[in-house]
Amino acid sequence: MADPDFNEKLASLLARCGLGDKNAFATLYDMTKSKLFAVSLRIVRERHVAEEVLQDSFVNIWNNAANYAIAKAAPMTWMSAIVRNRSLDIVRRPRLEIQDEEEFFTLNLEDPSLGPQDQLTQGRDVAQVEVCLKGLEADQRQTISLAFFHGLSHSELSMHLNKPLGTIKTHIRRGLLKLKDCLNDHIEYSPRDGGRV
Amino acid sequence: MKHVTPELRSALAAEYVLGTMRGGARRRFEQFLRSDYELRAEVAKWEADLTPMAERLKPVRPPDHVWANIQARIGGTNLESAARKPAASWFDSVKFWRMLGTGFAALATVLLATLVTLRANVGPANNEPQAPMMLAVLEDQGDPRMVVEQPKSGLLMVKMVKPWKTMSDQSLELWVIPKDGPPRSLGVISQDKDSTIVMADMDLRLLDGNMFALSKEPMGGSPTGTPTGKVVCKGMIAHMPPKPIKKSPAQI
Repeated sequence: MADPDFNEKLASLLARCGLGDKNAFATLYDMTKSKLFAVSLRIVRERHVAEEVLQDSFVNIWNNAANYAIAKAAPMTWMSAIVRNRSLDIVRRPRLEIQDEEEFFTLNLEDPSLGPQDQLTQGRDVAQVEVCLKGLEADQRQTISLAFFHGLSHSELSMHLNKPLGTIKTHIRRGLLKLKDCLNDHIEYSPRDGGRV
Repeated sequence: MKHVTPELRSALAAEYVLGTMRGGARRRFEQFLRSDYELRAEVAKWEADLTPMAERLKPVRPPDHVWANIQARIGGTNLESAARKPAASWFDSVKFWRMLGTGFAALATVLLATLVTLRANVGPANNEPQAPMMLAVLEDQGDPRMVVEQPKSGLLMVKMVKPWKTMSDQSLELWVIPKDGPPRSLGVISQDKDSTIVMADMDLRLLDGNMFALSKEPMGGSPTGTPTGKVVCKGMIAHMPPKPIKKSPAQI
């Protein structure tokens, strides 16, 4: 991940996958499997389900690699979205044993391979979203983080956080709006385009 | 979805990407996505904003059998096997785009069909495998209209995705736009049917080609040698690797 050309490499591998190059696909898999497995595991929570998600997702990535260029997204964003959508499709609920509510600022960020320099090379989004998330009210941030990383639905969030459904929805809606405004305000400081369309 | 306010559309797209939109609502939203370009763009924006957060998760190595299963499902090392199942691939593709949300179902189908042709071309049955040398999907404001493919030296195939209404007083002229320099004409094409373009100096004209564009010109083509009318669709050129893809032990 320390390689500044990480996203360019992935984009070029995806292009080769689109032409049926299975060596490129094997490299793509090796470069992204652990990141993407973590994404799914966090949402579906069961290893065997996450393994299925990863399989389905990579088959889809292979079948649709030729369309990647049209998606106009950063390669990791494109692939993460596939994995997230597949995870959200098949997740079984409820599972409410989650303890670490401010996890995004603790455990979630424990990727030792990512230093400040990598944040730059990965595009503005990761670092900027963090800054903007920190600017939200605690309730909003907690609700959005739980939803995003753990794939909790409105009603699951309501049960888990012991708050009325309406309150949860308000936190999410207002939090997302504030996040969007914050991100829009910071676009000009972007060190590099991280996949914004 | 067209009748809802932009604010609500954005909010729904955000909840779709965040993952709080679930079950029936999620499936209905995905149906809207298939036919609503602007909604897809809204989802893409939110994905660009939110999804990179997922990259900060601590990586977890998946077990090796996952890769073995993926290999098995994409047809082992035999490229031709993928081409033999166009129906299944098409189905997967549509299902996939529904799921992905930022997709273009029609384009996926077109590209897949092209890819199937491509893979058939590089199949082991063919002693002199030939993949297209270049490929482009020409769009009109995100709407795919034509696929331009160079199957071999000196030849271009133009495939209609959505034909134009026949214009009796105007012609459609295809241009290649090089990385540097003015557009070069590739001739007038049919308005409602696939075209094949053969030119002795085709490869020279396509040299350093960056984009194809189609313009409306007076009957018979541009009188000046450069585009004079409105560009009706355009698309970036994907250049293919010069050699056919070969099997290697690493792929097993």
